[in-house]
Amino acid sequence: MVCIRKATVKDLLAMQACNLFCLPENYQMKYYLYHILSWPQLLYVAEDYNGRIVGYVLAKMEEETTDCHGHITSLAVLRTHRKLGLATKLMTAAQNAMEQVFGAEYVSLHVRKSNRAAFNLYTETLGYKIHDVEAKYYADGEDAYDMRKQLKGKQHHHHHNHHHHHLHHEHGGGCCSGEVKGNAKAT
Amino acid sequence: MGASLPPKEANLFKLIVKSYETKQYKKGLKAADAILKKFPDHGETLSMKGLTLNCMDRKSEAYELVRQGLKNDLKSHVCWHVFGLLYRSDREYREAIKCYRNALKIDPDNIEILRDLSLLQAQMRDLTGFVETRQQLLTLKSNHRMNWIGFAVAHHLNSSASKAIEILEAYEGTLEDDYPPENERCEHGEMLLYKISLLEECGFFQKALEELQKKELKIVDKLAYKEQEVSLLIKLGRLEEGEKLFRALLSMNPDNYRYYEGLQKCVGLYSENGHFSPDEIDQLDALYKTLEQQYKWSSAVKRIPLDFLQGDKFREAADSYIKPLLTKGVPSLFSDLSSLYNQPRKADVLEQIILELESSLKSTGQYPGRMEKEPPSTLMWTLFFLAQHYDRLGQYEIALSKIDEAIHHTPTVIDLYSVKSRILKHAGDLVAAAAFADEARCMDLADRYVNSECVKRMLQADQVALAEKTAVLFTKDGDQHNNLHDMQCMWYELASAESYFRQGDLGLALKKFLAVEKHYADITEDQFDFHSYCLRKMTLRQYVEMLKFQDQLHSHAYFHKAAVGAIRCYIKLHDSPPKSTAEEDNGMSKLLPSQKKKMRQKQRKAEARAKKEAEIKNEESSAGGVSKSGKRHAKPVDPDPRGEKLTQVEDPLLEATKYLKLLQKNSPDSLETHILSFELYMRKQKILLAFQAVKQLLRLDAEHPDSHRCLIKFFNKVGSMNAPVTDSEKLVWSVLDAERQTISQLHGKSLFETNNSFLEKHEDSLMHKAAFGEMLYVLDPNKRPEAVKLIEGSTNNLVPRNGVLEPIGEWKLKDCIAVHKLLRTVLVDDDAALRWKERCAKFFPYSTYFEGSRSSAFNQIGKSTENGSSNHVESTPSNGKLEAFKDLTI
Repeated sequence: MVCIRKATVKDLLAMQACNLFCLPENYQMKYYLYHILSWPQLLYVAEDYNGRIVGYVLAKMEEETTDCHGHITSLAVLRTHRKLGLATKLMTAAQNAMEQVFGAEYVSLHVRKSNRAAFNLYTETLGYKIHDVEAKYYADGEDAYDMRKQLKGKQHHHHHNHHHHHLHHEHGGGCCSGEVKGNAKAT
Repeated sequence: MGASLPPKEANLFKLIVKSYETKQYKKGLKAADAILKKFPDHGETLSMKGLTLNCMDRKSEAYELVRQGLKNDLKSHVCWHVFGLLYRSDREYREAIKCYRNALKIDPDNIEILRDLSLLQAQMRDLTGFVETRQQLLTLKSNHRMNWIGFAVAHHLNSSASKAIEILEAYEGTLEDDYPPENERCEHGEMLLYKISLLEECGFFQKALEELQKKELKIVDKLAYKEQEVSLLIKLGRLEEGEKLFRALLSMNPDNYRYYEGLQKCVGLYSENGHFSPDEIDQLDALYKTLEQQYKWSSAVKRIPLDFLQGDKFREAADSYIKPLLTKGVPSLFSDLSSLYNQPRKADVLEQIILELESSLKSTGQYPGRMEKEPPSTLMWTLFFLAQHYDRLGQYEIALSKIDEAIHHTPTVIDLYSVKSRILKHAGDLVAAAAFADEARCMDLADRYVNSECVKRMLQADQVALAEKTAVLFTKDGDQHNNLHDMQCMWYELASAESYFRQGDLGLALKKFLAVEKHYADITEDQFDFHSYCLRKMTLRQYVEMLKFQDQLHSHAYFHKAAVGAIRCYIKLHDSPPKSTAEEDNGMSKLLPSQKKKMRQKQRKAEARAKKEAEIKNEESSAGGVSKSGKRHAKPVDPDPRGEKLTQVEDPLLEATKYLKLLQKNSPDSLETHILSFELYMRKQKILLAFQAVKQLLRLDAEHPDSHRCLIKFFNKVGSMNAPVTDSEKLVWSVLDAERQTISQLHGKSLFETNNSFLEKHEDSLMHKAAFGEMLYVLDPNKRPEAVKLIEGSTNNLVPRNGVLEPIGEWKLKDCIAVHKLLRTVLVDDDAALRWKERCAKFFPYSTYFEGSRSSAFNQIGKSTENGSSNHVESTPSNGKLEAFKDLTI
């Protein structure tokens, strides 16, 4: 039905279109470029039988903190493609890559308090737990759950890097409005 | 830097530079002013002050100071460098490169300037220059990893991958055996994968594979390792090993269709066009049966066989694929199967299967031959599938009856309303389609997907204001009305542009089309920061992929649409220029030329004043919003909110040419590109360029009605021109004479005869007939009645289908509308147009365009006689809207 594969640069415009069509938190193209040019292993797409991108996961590594962990920036599946388990498959693929390539200890994400469907997916299917509540995290004033899932543990090596300037920090000009507002929502 | 200053000031100068780098602009400004107090003419300080002001959005002062600084110190590389940075910030890359080059003349080994230059060269794809600069950087600092990598990438981009490999190997030679340290393993692994991809690109498959396997432990990304390995194994013809590896990849991700494709290639069962011999089909069938055992959870192993299976085996496989998905209620089932409709026999089989399921579910609540009862929802999803099936076949009436039945069965499922909306749109009732999309939206206000769909339908129905109000529910961003533009929401901008265009508002249409074009310019610009970033991050394979993506960016569908739309607007503006509002108001047309000139000057002054006022207003409104870096954030006031200025361009065709050139470069295989090129150059009397367009059209699709139109129009026009007088005219004629011989359609024929043989070839096609008729009229306006009669004589033939199923008419709604427009506006025969309309209203009863009996337009007509308002749809609140469409349900 739907192909789950790593995203390529060529998919980014379609991923952005998918995001804009179904999620309230949006990002400029540069932010997508930033993700794929930093952690190409962590972007996956769901492509339907007609070659259309119907879902994606956009994830990153948090490299400025002392503990090495991944973060789900955005997860989307078009409403028309529910009930296929796509969100689970996309998330699993990204989580595996975080663990295998970067040796992530855990993965974090934010979800709207009101988004029960996504919350259930994260807690029941994917094993996330509430770590914290961030008051008024979203632009419209809604709170977010800060959720975490422990990964199996380090198989690989700590990934430290002395020159991890985030691109969007280096160059102002508002390259990524969504930068501090990573979001996750499963539809 | 700052060398000519005494120690105290020299330190202050360093502080300016540091403050600039750390974005503490206010601090930098203070330091600069302190120096300038004592040394008001110090060139480098003036330059740096300018650069700092530039970052605080004080552009004009910045340029003034930087120019002044340079003038005072022409021999300073700092001043030239700063001037380059200033140009760079304004995307004036060519000018910036010139400045850097001047700076390097003074200080040839300045690493910072060389690095900045190399970034611009990469951005501008000055690849030979890029290689040179990168070589210089490596020579100057060969102990920097980045310089090795940069030099290698430069060679790769400059089409010498083998040179790039040599450089990477030389770099590896500088490393200790135990390299890399823990914290650089990822980067090093990426570098190795990049080098191996270069070896592959050069065709050194064996060497690539050996290198890959030798470095296995140093490559961190194991998935990329496997994918690279399998790609090389196939290229080396080691298919058995390839098969094994693909099976391993499938066990990691059984939902990746590319792995199945690769596996098929390895076992010799792959075909580009999907055609297989019966023997191959049996083998494939067996292969997927074993895979199905292995990957029980994968839907791919069940779906792929539907593509190659035929006959009874297809029926059987489709039947067992569909049933569990209907039971589960998977909304995308129809779209998943829709590619099978390209094989008409399979579409018939699907219809039979689903109809059997429907009747069995209705009579027993079970699937045929099964004991267990299905949940009630199975029938609903079956009806849902059937509705989409009939929609796809163009049988809108049945499609609507099925979807209504489903809604009646379970009125609470949103997807049903979305599909009903889509069917109505296809059937030609855009207003009703928007209303049902709005119904779907209201059922889940928190879901942006149904909101977006509704907005899209509203725009298709030309309800732009309502669409915007609806979209804003999700896109309000602080004080900002909506962030659709900032977030590069191109589908929305395109859909509203097209709506404005349909409504004749060329200003707003242009504004939105150009907004989309701007996004692409911004995305091109986005790559700039990554030229240095990726060299550090070592994501080199993705970096090169990104550059290729950028090089083809303007061939993307959204850009194509935007450019086409903008060109259409400009052509319209050329054909019927808008009366400038000033001319109307002041009765300027009656004035003498000298008076007109004066008047225009006055207007220009007034405009300048208004602009200045707007700027001041901007500054005032943003005064409170200055952040700690001193940069202003508030949005500037839009000086042209309705796009009126855009419609007042001096030479619309010149503007159009800009976008045409991008289309010619990036969409050379699109008919539309060359149709527009033809239209444009005919208007500009550029005969040879118009002829180029005709040739391109013939190359792409000589039998297309529009290609035929352009061919006839062109030679008809040429034939009507005066005999050549000047030398260049004579040259053009001789070229055309020679070229005419090469066009087979015209060979030894008059244009009338060419037109006739076009008709003979395509007698059964409505659109070809229409093109023939139009050209007949173009060639001889007296033949209008004949042309009209011929077009009217077309018949809507039935498509032959499997006996039991209902026949379907051949004509498409879109084509019939085009013919109506042709009759009305080109052939100008109102009676014929009316007859055509009445006839089509019967074929397309839901079409609002033809005011079909089941369309909301028809209902509106009835209503308007009652309450005198035919246009209340826009203003009625969404939940009340369905009232108007109650009659629509069957």
